[in-house]
Amino acid sequence: MTNSIADIIESDVIMMIGSNADTGHPTIGLRLHQAIDNGTKLIVIDPRGTDFARRADHWVSVVPGSDVALLNGMMRVIIEEDIYDHKFVETRTENYEELQIVTEKYTPEYVEKITGVSEEQLRTVARLYASPGKKCAIFYGMGLAHHATGTDNVKCVANIAMLCGKMGVPGGGVNPLRGQNNVQGACDMGALFNTLPGYAGLSRDDVFDRYESMWGVTLPRRPGRPATEVWDAIHDGEISSLYIMGEDPVLADPNANHAVEALKKIDFLVVQDIFMTDTARMADVVLPAACFAEKDGTFTSTERRVQRVRRAVDPPGIAKPDWQIFCELSKKMGYEMNYESAADIFAEVASLTPQYKGISYSRIEKTGLQWPVPNKSHPGTVVMHIGKFTQGLGLFIPEDYTPPQEATDSEYPMLFTTGRHYAQYNFGSMTRKTAGITRIYPEALAEINPVDADRLLLSVGDWIRITSRRGEVKARITVTERSQVGTVFIPYHFAEVPVNQLTLNSLDRLSRSPEYKICSVRVEKL
Amino acid sequence: MSIKITIDGREITALADGTVLDAAKRAGIYIPTLCQVVGHKNSERPCELCVVEVEGLQKPVRSCSFPVKDGMRVVTKSEALTGYRKAKIETLAGTHFGDCKAPCNLTCPAQINVQGYIAHVAKGQYEEAMRLIMARNPFPFSVGRVCPRFCETRCRRILVDEPVSINHIKRFVADWCMAGKVDLKLGCAPRTGKRVAVIGGGPAGLTAAFYLARKGHDVTVFEAMPKLGGMLRYGLPNYKISPRVLDYETSTILRLGISVKFNQKWGADFSLQGLKDRGFDAIFIGTGAWVPKPLDVPGANLANVYAATDFLRSVAEGAALPTGRRAVVLGGNNIALETARTLLRCGVDQVTVVYGKTRTGMPANQRVIKEAENEGVQFLMVAAPVQIRQISAGLDLELIRMRLTEPDKRGVRHPEAIPGSSNHIEIDTVIHSMGQMAFGRQKIAAGGIEESLELSQKNCLKANVRNSATNIDGIFAAGDVVSGTRTVIQTVVAARRAADSIHSYIMGVPKKSESRFNFSRGRSFDDVDLRNFEGIKVKLREKMPTRPPEIAVQDFNQVKLGFTEEMALKEAGRCLSCGCSAFEQCELKSLAIDHKVNLNKTGMGKTLVYSRDTSHPVLSVDLNKCVYCQRCLNTCEYKALELTAAGFDDKGRAQGISLEFNDNCVSCGRCAEACSTGALAKTASMVPVISEPVKEVRTTCPYCGAGCQIILRVKNNTIMEVCADPAQAPNYGALCVKGRFGFDFVQHRDRLTVPLIRRGGQLVEATWEEALNHVAKRFFDLKAMYGPDTIAGFSCARATNEDNFIMQKFMRTALGTNNIDHCARL
Repeated sequence: MTNSIADIIESDVIMMIGSNADTGHPTIGLRLHQAIDNGTKLIVIDPRGTDFARRADHWVSVVPGSDVALLNGMMRVIIEEDIYDHKFVETRTENYEELQIVTEKYTPEYVEKITGVSEEQLRTVARLYASPGKKCAIFYGMGLAHHATGTDNVKCVANIAMLCGKMGVPGGGVNPLRGQNNVQGACDMGALFNTLPGYAGLSRDDVFDRYESMWGVTLPRRPGRPATEVWDAIHDGEISSLYIMGEDPVLADPNANHAVEALKKIDFLVVQDIFMTDTARMADVVLPAACFAEKDGTFTSTERRVQRVRRAVDPPGIAKPDWQIFCELSKKMGYEMNYESAADIFAEVASLTPQYKGISYSRIEKTGLQWPVPNKSHPGTVVMHIGKFTQGLGLFIPEDYTPPQEATDSEYPMLFTTGRHYAQYNFGSMTRKTAGITRIYPEALAEINPVDADRLLLSVGDWIRITSRRGEVKARITVTERSQVGTVFIPYHFAEVPVNQLTLNSLDRLSRSPEYKICSVRVEKL
Repeated sequence: MSIKITIDGREITALADGTVLDAAKRAGIYIPTLCQVVGHKNSERPCELCVVEVEGLQKPVRSCSFPVKDGMRVVTKSEALTGYRKAKIETLAGTHFGDCKAPCNLTCPAQINVQGYIAHVAKGQYEEAMRLIMARNPFPFSVGRVCPRFCETRCRRILVDEPVSINHIKRFVADWCMAGKVDLKLGCAPRTGKRVAVIGGGPAGLTAAFYLARKGHDVTVFEAMPKLGGMLRYGLPNYKISPRVLDYETSTILRLGISVKFNQKWGADFSLQGLKDRGFDAIFIGTGAWVPKPLDVPGANLANVYAATDFLRSVAEGAALPTGRRAVVLGGNNIALETARTLLRCGVDQVTVVYGKTRTGMPANQRVIKEAENEGVQFLMVAAPVQIRQISAGLDLELIRMRLTEPDKRGVRHPEAIPGSSNHIEIDTVIHSMGQMAFGRQKIAAGGIEESLELSQKNCLKANVRNSATNIDGIFAAGDVVSGTRTVIQTVVAARRAADSIHSYIMGVPKKSESRFNFSRGRSFDDVDLRNFEGIKVKLREKMPTRPPEIAVQDFNQVKLGFTEEMALKEAGRCLSCGCSAFEQCELKSLAIDHKVNLNKTGMGKTLVYSRDTSHPVLSVDLNKCVYCQRCLNTCEYKALELTAAGFDDKGRAQGISLEFNDNCVSCGRCAEACSTGALAKTASMVPVISEPVKEVRTTCPYCGAGCQIILRVKNNTIMEVCADPAQAPNYGALCVKGRFGFDFVQHRDRLTVPLIRRGGQLVEATWEEALNHVAKRFFDLKAMYGPDTIAGFSCARATNEDNFIMQKFMRTALGTNNIDHCARL
């Protein structure tokens, strides 16, 4: 998030795209609802009829996967009606001309054809978001990012925010809601194939030199492989062993069967986890790890807030914190990593990562700090990009609409999409062990629109089989307006309904994020 | 803008638009309130406990709604205010209906948090249950086998079907910990440098040693025998407590770092003065009551006439006294009965217990009498020995018939002999169990201090009931040596209290006492409204697996085999959880204690008005405890609660209260945390915390990316619940259902606990050394053979920054590849 959770109440207009904070981020959802109660206008761009969609001043029920077209269409309206922020564009951005050229063809008629959104609604929401002088924030979730065009979507969001001068303003900004507790931190720490800690790209020889002298080792400067490409690489014989910490690709990866086949093929698999996951069952070595309540450390939240994690109880058996396992293993492999404590590691992180430079355990003893914190007296950054962007001028990177990878056809006539239920989390390995949560949401229900239910002669509680080109799952149904006509939704928390047998593993060309949110399926009554 | 006001003579700075209560809270000045919550609107029915006196005003005002004014002077404590508040609390308490503590807890001589450990068992937290038991009883193995179970006699489940088998659950917990060789990690306070000598290594001595060691003192136990356990080892037969179990039990106690000197007889090998000279700061005497009371009939000194304790000890030591084929046991106490059962196991064909009163008048536990009878012990009731004579075929025991007199003034019927009714039986052995004394005819012959120790008329040591002190400074005593023979649990309690007194003596600190304040739904069964149990289905208690008597009598192996885990879980599930799960948090109770409210005088709720509502997935509602403070309503940020009262009685108390959750409810549980009593509770938080220390660990929620700050409330090694601090960014007390309730995974049985290596197709347990060597070698080889870029690593968006940093560093340095990524996109 460029802005903060506490900032939400300041917004005049909030535009939510592909995010249902009520289920994904309930406490942030609560603040959004309170802002709306307080008079903040709400635009919801979402194919699903979420509670936010129902409360919205404008619910834009787009055709799934058409966000780029919609956002380009909005920008075209904003430019055409000349309600964009000239001063911001002139002084703080570059490449505006290209944005104008690319968005030109997204006329309301063209946009309506792709997205199903009427010209009237398109103009209304464009005007509302652009509202000169108003504080307008964008919130988006995985509904925007989990597409083969996820990066394009995100770029368009940045484009429209800059065009309207909504960056660097309290109550404004571009605010992705990160799905997991420490996605932000894992990226910050350089657990990425294409950057070192602190987002230093692999082309930065100066950074490499610094790391090499600090770590006393020659580092590889060749690019690495993203996780989502690893499966193909295994099938192609280019990767032969895997070390997996805390992941369960057998359940989590799109087109899961593809991943399972790959895991069967590799020479050596190490899984380090807190539970015996389906992936761990296939491992050659399983290492027991301490969970969040059994170790010290930090998480970095979606608002870039670095906060303490503290040991409250002992790990079970002889399980150990992940970092300790790596240190011991590294020593055995001839590279010594000696740390007394998590605080020691954090001190090294702060010394290497510019965003974390001014953070230490003592400073975040009570309340976490929001990066960037460039020095030890800096109070943290509540709103980013005030006055100027970190890297000079904001660059418009316009993108064209690309249709989803898999269109519906006569054989697979419906769209399939996945998401969360508010009481459950990910693949249920954590939440499904609490009886009260099971009482709230005991099984994965396929959500189907009443129109489709009538057409397929389905009623609540019926079992259906859902088949895609990659696999099939069975689930019971519930009938609800939350699902658009022609769309089936299933939450992904239940191993019994392994939705990723259906999903598509085509990847975004830049971030390599998979197209979780759309594939085409066939639904049959059982 | 801020202004200056004076509260209780202290000048403080206050926000100009705030209330007196806000200002006081900010300045850390305590004003009681049951209804107000910081940052939320006030109750429509204020509790009026926050009244204060403001200079210049005639009447006290409610500080929660009285605005501050520059220069104002406020008094928060005065006799008048305390009286006003006390009256308000008494009014509210008058209809508050519930149990603070469960009857089992109140009845247990050791005041063990019985409901608490049963609830831990129900949750599968056996280790924690064991720690909770051992907080007040270091002998769970023994007590779990021999306790007469005072608690079960008061179990409210009796009003539904049968009492919960509490003692069998306790034994299961102990046995489970032994089977798994669980290290309970019982911590000790920092060392005090004080030294305590404990004389006697039986239940009294070891209990005192255990609690003294836990308080950080250096304890040395002086034991006369070659092994620990005292009467548990030498006075109870092996089929009751096996030596193996007792060894484990005593070693658990010794693990705290207690030293033991064996074969040290008081009077022969050391004296009290000697101990004092060796620098012990205090001495505890827990030598028990080993001296048999003499059998006062002619012939009592013949061969083959023994005291029961001597006989049992000879059996325990593996050198049983000769018994012949026919034996009579004189006496009706537990030891007499166990002696009879032991005789059967020694191969005696005919064992008869002779007792002066009727069977129901026997002091022995009725369960034990029944067991002895089933095993083949015969009984000769209302008979007394006259004399014993040696005859050629063995012994001739002359008995006389007794009858019971008419009740005396106290209602007691005494046995008296019926003249001319004597009778002779021919036997080989007579064993008598007339009870035991601490000391025989002569005192401990060590001179000096021993000489001046005061004894009671019953030949026991005299000790002050309040602090276990003997008449000699620095010397304390408890257990059978003071009281004469009692149950193990009673000895444990006495010794634990003595340890507290010794601690307070040597440290010069006052002894802590627990308040006896308690709301009750009825002290006796007759007082308890049966409507309390409506809807509870009859579910009989689990049957203890027992070896058939005809088999059991053939050896000294244990007769009762113990509950299986399944049985223990089922039995724990029968607990009605009478005591309040909000025992620790209840503000009505703590305010009533602070204001010295006496419920016996001013009354408490007597009748059940509302039935308990457990229909909510994570919350339970018991409106009988509701004081209508409206905190639940006022703290709910979702407008999910509908709380109403049909009317108010003449004292302003709500009547016909209704609490419903509407569709807005997301089960976040914040309302339960705000509740001022136990009316609204988290269903899963079923373990009442009575006096056990609970630490609060601030950390970050492990679910979504919002970064909510949570507080883990941890008892020993168990997460009891998750709460949130309303003053803490970024969530300010808000959590979702996952954040507040979804933590059962942490201590779930399915957690991985040891490294596993695949061998012959199977994942088998390994040490860290083996597992990491294996991984290091395989990666080393694979890297050498195919190059580092054939290895890839997935890191985790749920792990900490430190874990992620180290993993990418490991991949880039030790393995030499940039093939590191995580699930951010998944």
